[in-house]
Amino acid sequence: MDQTALKLQHRVLALMARGVAQPASEDEFNGLACAVFEFQYERCGVYRAYCEQQKCVPETVSHWKQIPAVPASAFRDFTLACFPAEDAVAEFHTSGTTRQKPGRHFFHTLELYDAAITHAFAPHLLPDNARLPMLVLTPPLQEALQSSLSHMMDVVVREFGAVGSAHYVERGELRAEPLASALREHERAGQPVFLLGTAFAFVHFFDYLAQHNLRFQMADGSRAMETGGFKSRSRELSKKELYGQFENCLGIPPTRVVNEYGMTELSTQFYDQTLREGRQTDRKLAPPWSRVLITDPTTGEEANPGERGLIRIYDLANLWSALCLQTEDLGVTGGGDAFEVLGRAAGAEVRGCSLNAETLRTL
Amino acid sequence: MSATTEQIHEAILRTREARDRVQLRSTDAIAAALARAAKNWLAADSPWRRRAVEQAPATTGFSSAMVNEAVDLTFAPITEHALRELLSSGSPLANEGEAGIASAISGEREKRRRASRSHQHPQIIVHFLAGNVPAPGLASICCGLLSKSANLIKVSSRDPVFPALFVESVRAVDAELAGCAAVLDWRREEVTLTRAALTEADAVIAYGDDETIASIRRMTRPDAHFLGYGHKLSFAVIGKAVLTKENLPRLAEAAAFDASVYDQQGCLSPHAFYVEDGGLVSPRAFAAALAEAMASYQARVPRGELSVEEAAQVAKLRGAYEFRSASDKSVAVWAGGGTNDWLVIYEEDPMFTPSCLNRVVFVKPVTRLESIPQFMRRFASSLSTAGLAPMDGRTTAFAGELIKLGVSRVCPIGQMQRPRLAWQLAG
Repeated sequence: MDQTALKLQHRVLALMARGVAQPASEDEFNGLACAVFEFQYERCGVYRAYCEQQKCVPETVSHWKQIPAVPASAFRDFTLACFPAEDAVAEFHTSGTTRQKPGRHFFHTLELYDAAITHAFAPHLLPDNARLPMLVLTPPLQEALQSSLSHMMDVVVREFGAVGSAHYVERGELRAEPLASALREHERAGQPVFLLGTAFAFVHFFDYLAQHNLRFQMADGSRAMETGGFKSRSRELSKKELYGQFENCLGIPPTRVVNEYGMTELSTQFYDQTLREGRQTDRKLAPPWSRVLITDPTTGEEANPGERGLIRIYDLANLWSALCLQTEDLGVTGGGDAFEVLGRAAGAEVRGCSLNAETLRTL
Repeated sequence: MSATTEQIHEAILRTREARDRVQLRSTDAIAAALARAAKNWLAADSPWRRRAVEQAPATTGFSSAMVNEAVDLTFAPITEHALRELLSSGSPLANEGEAGIASAISGEREKRRRASRSHQHPQIIVHFLAGNVPAPGLASICCGLLSKSANLIKVSSRDPVFPALFVESVRAVDAELAGCAAVLDWRREEVTLTRAALTEADAVIAYGDDETIASIRRMTRPDAHFLGYGHKLSFAVIGKAVLTKENLPRLAEAAAFDASVYDQQGCLSPHAFYVEDGGLVSPRAFAAALAEAMASYQARVPRGELSVEEAAQVAKLRGAYEFRSASDKSVAVWAGGGTNDWLVIYEEDPMFTPSCLNRVVFVKPVTRLESIPQFMRRFASSLSTAGLAPMDGRTTAFAGELIKLGVSRVCPIGQMQRPRLAWQLAG
């Protein structure tokens, strides 16, 4: 492998190994970010062309906030890789839509990716070092080799799951009955469990429970991680409503349900600080090897604190693609270094009488 | 300030009484009064214009310069002649059936049937107006007054100003006529109020998205006449014959006007310009000229305030296309300053892509104009207007193809936002 890449990877891994308690100093983060930027500028032709167009090149960039952000769409329109894509050990795809090609994210190694997963997951979901059976409501990796979420679940189950961990989605279908049986068994045994899955899979499961008049009171220490929002695939629930269901149906209070914010285009995931703080909160903290900016969509500049804007993420673990990603999600700063995700920047209620892109997307 | 059920009932009573009083007046006299009221808006120092410019930006989000422009676009077409044409061409309310113009063609038998009824026009019309393009709503109000009906007008929260001011300006020239119109405001979610308004409606005119129109229709009496004007989209086509260096500045200016006015939020606003290859000016050069013209228009009539969500949509398109354009020469982007006031996106992929609006417009080259309908086919049921240049012998046949596709109006570039009054209610 590329010696520069190897050295950079090593530096980022070292930063990750120090854990999430202490943020990286500005100097350290900046130094590493600018070095990764230079590496990506040199290795990825499509990114280099963009940087030149934006007139932000390694010679002129001295601060991480100046690094040009790649739009999420770039992963759909191009092969965005800092190595020959045919040498990829993994390729994750966005779910895409019927009308749009999926985004593709290529990895030369998964070392940074897997390290990013474990170093953030443990402090946010298992601060008590519990080892619990993990009941996973996503397809197993064998059925979804190109799903970054399935890969992540595979990693965390292997690293942190106790005996009795299992997947409850098979060939795209939620296996609600076996899941309910498993829950009943653990409930009877007083065994706390850890449920992980997409928000819409949970909604389907809660609907199933309602239809069959089933409820559970899972043992203390039980917890859940939900992710993915709704992406128009099921009826929408507010976070409050969804978390209310965890409590009603499973006896898991909102203080033990954590939202994970991640995407195929990134290597790092972001979590609610709920379990770390001991109270339900929507505030998320970027782990030390990443930074999150809220940007004013009109100017592209950093928004004022407390103002809603577009989320821009700097992720040092994204060495093989793009360190800086402009997401399509709205967010707001949450006090200190925290931020909150407000949801996709969907088209606002259409004014006047013209159809716009958002409405037409559903045709 | 939201209306109450009592106010709605009171308004219905009041306008019904006023309506009884105007039955003996001639429609020509009514047209004359409406035209006078409209004319009073047009002077540069008109107090109606001044009040609209002061009040409308806050709710519509438009700049005051845009509101000023909207006044001209809205009131200039409201002339006596146009109002009489509105009735004689078969105002949808004067005929049975929703395709007013079509049924007017069915002629004599219809006329005799109408004459035999004492009230062939609806007694009470309830109007549900849309967001911030004032013209269509005011056209319906004129129609409702010309048909000597009582009119209950529910404004949109986006534009409570124009309808209220218009009725006031009618009152200033003809109080008795204005008594036939009551302007009220309530939120769409207040279903009880909508039902209260609809119990007595003989006719309903509703503007909005398909869902809104459907929900209003569900609450309308089955025997009432219902006219729904859903959301539509428009586009424009430029043939190579008109693409010369001499024509370019004027053409670009006309195109920029069509794409910028009402911040592109009207159903007559073009999302895209298809430009024919092979002219003396290339489609890419047209796009560059269009960008210059968008910038000029912006300097004169600034785009309004956008919500964070709307601004994010513009930023997303700009980001995606700009990134692409750095490596892919089939794509080019021109952007209005550091604040995304407007975007022109040149893209060689001919498939029609809807814009996020707010002055974001696509320019797509085509080798053959005749291929355009296939690129638009997915949106055929949502089409309104096609701007076309030039309008000459060659393009007339093509205009026919556009009508077959589903376009309801073909007009010159620069005129897209200036439909005839009568068209507004038929189209």
